[in-house]
Amino acid sequence: MKILVCIKQVPDMESKFKVDAAGTWYDNADLAWRMNEYDEYAVEQAVQLKEQAGEGDITVLSIGPDKVKEAMKKALAMGCDRGVHVSDDAVSSKEPYQIASIIAAFAGDKGFDVIFTGLQSQDRGSGQVGVLVGELLGLPSVTTVVDFNMEGDSVTAKRELEGGIRAVVKVATPALFTCQLGLNTPRYPTLPNIMKAKKKELLTIPVADLLDVDPRQQTAALFFPEKKGGGLVLEGEVGDLADQLVQILKEKTTVLS
Amino acid sequence: MKALLVAEYRDGQLLGSYQELIGFARQLGADCSMFLVGSGSALPAFEGTLYLADAAQVGDYNPDVHKQLLLSVIEQEQPDYIVFLHSSYGWDLAPRVACSLKASQISEVVEIKDGTMVVPVCNAKLRRQVTPNTQVTVLTLQAGAFGLAEPPTGSPEVKEVSTDAVGPITFTGYEAAEAGGVDLSKSEVIVSAGRGVGKPENVSIIEDLASALGGDYGASRPVVDSEWVEHNRQVGTTGQTVAPKLYVACGISGAIQHLAGMKKSEFIVAVNTDKDAPIGEVADVLVVADLKQFIPALTEKIKGG
Amino acid sequence: MKFELSEEQSLIRDTVREFAESEIGPSAAQRDEEERFDRALMFDSLAELGLTGIVFPEEYGGAGADYLSYAIAVEELSRVCASTGVTLSAHLSLCANPIYLFGSESQKQQYLTALAAGEKMGAFGLTEPSAGSDAGSTKTTAVKNGDGWLLNGSKIFITNGGEAETYVVLARTDKDAKKHHGISAFIIDKGTEGFTFGKKEQKLGIRSSPTMEIIFENCLIPAENLLGEEGEGFKVAMKTLDGGRIGIASQAVGIAQGALEQAINYAKERKQFDKPIAAFQGISFQLADMATQIEASRLMVYNAAYRASAGLSYSQASAMAKLMASETAMKVTTQAVQILGGYGYSREYPVERMMRDAKITEIYEGTSEIQRLVIGAALTR
Repeated sequence: MKILVCIKQVPDMESKFKVDAAGTWYDNADLAWRMNEYDEYAVEQAVQLKEQAGEGDITVLSIGPDKVKEAMKKALAMGCDRGVHVSDDAVSSKEPYQIASIIAAFAGDKGFDVIFTGLQSQDRGSGQVGVLVGELLGLPSVTTVVDFNMEGDSVTAKRELEGGIRAVVKVATPALFTCQLGLNTPRYPTLPNIMKAKKKELLTIPVADLLDVDPRQQTAALFFPEKKGGGLVLEGEVGDLADQLVQILKEKTTVLS
Repeated sequence: MKALLVAEYRDGQLLGSYQELIGFARQLGADCSMFLVGSGSALPAFEGTLYLADAAQVGDYNPDVHKQLLLSVIEQEQPDYIVFLHSSYGWDLAPRVACSLKASQISEVVEIKDGTMVVPVCNAKLRRQVTPNTQVTVLTLQAGAFGLAEPPTGSPEVKEVSTDAVGPITFTGYEAAEAGGVDLSKSEVIVSAGRGVGKPENVSIIEDLASALGGDYGASRPVVDSEWVEHNRQVGTTGQTVAPKLYVACGISGAIQHLAGMKKSEFIVAVNTDKDAPIGEVADVLVVADLKQFIPALTEKIKGG
Repeated sequence: MKFELSEEQSLIRDTVREFAESEIGPSAAQRDEEERFDRALMFDSLAELGLTGIVFPEEYGGAGADYLSYAIAVEELSRVCASTGVTLSAHLSLCANPIYLFGSESQKQQYLTALAAGEKMGAFGLTEPSAGSDAGSTKTTAVKNGDGWLLNGSKIFITNGGEAETYVVLARTDKDAKKHHGISAFIIDKGTEGFTFGKKEQKLGIRSSPTMEIIFENCLIPAENLLGEEGEGFKVAMKTLDGGRIGIASQAVGIAQGALEQAINYAKERKQFDKPIAAFQGISFQLADMATQIEASRLMVYNAAYRASAGLSYSQASAMAKLMASETAMKVTTQAVQILGGYGYSREYPVERMMRDAKITEIYEGTSEIQRLVIGAALTR
């Protein structure tokens, strides 16, 4: 069984972000980086699938500058067998369709049985790449997976819907799955496996070899949302206050819809 | 400018979120039509053409078939925008449609700014203004970003659509949410009790509001220390760190250790008799009132709809 | 000279940090309060991660990483829980390491493999009621008895005491030899007849780490449990402590780093006179000094660890690192308590625990005074 896991390296979301000089993305300097949280579930599911099947070969793919190899090393230490680093210093300016095209160009002739991606990235958060890869490869894709079970070439997956409800779906492989938080419990790479990951194959492919589509969108500007100017203070009679607050909650939140 | 709005239907119910699609279209100033895989017995209040496919026939979730239906409607309507909610249905279906149309997709729109779409970046710490390079654009809207002040009215002109297409994915049913322990970090609404509740009997006021809002109740440390509320509901540095969609702090002054546990909540309402309580610094709305009177009144209003 | 962690070292740091923050940290305050050692959490889970044998070769069940990786691991554990940090340090530096350095092949197969895998936990018995920093005055005796050794005496303040299965213990084997020459090292299994445990210490800090007295009363151990040559015990002890100082210095850096982060967070949030107290120079200068001293300590620890892995002499480097890091930990944690004010003094916040934990780093595995003695002696030799 051949498994592909696509991962992204993202900044720690607790970081102090700054807008870069071009004003279209965050400044990469002085950030702590880690594997996109959703992708950790994808890697774990791939490794679990291989363990359950008792055989398999897992390729982990990531696009970006040399730095993304750190996240790939983690995936290799968690149990992926080989890495493909699509080298691209300008990855942050690629839009989801381009990213998906790169992955599809790589995966096209490799005959992967199962492809895992995260549901979305924590930084860009488009939630498109996984599905687009499936579409470009002509593979069925199931998104927002919180439970995964494969028997033979048939997968039963549970999708997480709003309000905690799950939809159960069946699909035959080859297929693609986008992983939601809580799908499994990503393992910590063990120290011996971290040391062994050093010896695993990590192939680098220049992005130009895989990318031949133009962007379908671009970022006009990146900026900080306007700060909450000191909260609204409501005073008065209790009944009126309750009416006012209900109205505000209807307008500003989704909890009363 | 034309927009095709994609409404949602699940398990026999039309989802109310279609109103947000209408709210967005109004802001955009677009003429709209709507697409729904649903049922003729649960139609949206909408003035315009509704392309309706029968969920009983094609299934609630069958992305490849829904895509085919939608593509045929798009063929007829020739919209500039195809608008979904950024939901488990929308983010699943939208990229499939965008891919077939060779259209740009802009995900999780929170705002229209100077005619272009604004989306969140990095857990909403930043915002990004995105411009498409394609004629047709697929959008998904952040839940709650484009609410309507008044519910929409009218009844749509229904055009039925159907297909014989079958997809590779088989939907076999729904599973209800699991009943779990008190993990407040997963709650969308948390109502917390502070010292201001005064006595243990009053905790039930907080519980009632939480349940009316479909959420959970929590507490600040003094309340837990007094054993009015069990420890596993404590919010703050020594309890749980939470970031729900709505946090209602009742009678909580806002000690720094409590703030650290909840200040990342999306929307914060504080109820306090002290207008200058530090909780006001993080609150979006500070209601200056005695919670023992105000909260039951609020609960009644919410229950009454 | 390269001041950058390798990819493996950074991944080890990230992994241990994440593990420590999610698994170890949440219960640290409560374990401290209850003076409770949680073996499943504080040792077995470290073994699962492969930390218990981090520096040993794969053939002995280790991870084959370097001392710098070990220093990083102890630092990251100690950043959230100094007790867990010292559990690993005592196990690895003070028990597994002397067996690795001085053990016969069969001792390594029998003991090191199990220790590295974390199947067994290790401890080290040197200190006695009348022989603390002065290893030469060891009173515990080991007398040849047929095919074995008969031990009598007791050792105090034994970290991991009672919990550990494997003990490396120093005992006098030649009453007549000169002070440092009549001492030998032994490997002793928990459960050996005549080997019992005394009282559990109640301590100021590292309260979740067990510290016990261990007692030998006509405890007969096989001849093959002699570690290293007979009479070579003092050398075993000194080499062991050289390595141990890297562990304790790393623990100290971790404690200090944890306290600094608490102080920074607090200073940014706490408002007085309408601005965060971090905006006052009185606070920000203190934070700057704290961070600078920690960074200096960390670099010294890394240097000692690098020298240990590179096969260079590191007694002096590890003594300096331990002296610097432990005094920094004490200073920084005290300042952190001061910055947090009343909250700092309260058990609501972790800095008071960190301050209590920091003190021991100036005492065990050679007090600051002993470090100065060692460093000074080497300078004026």
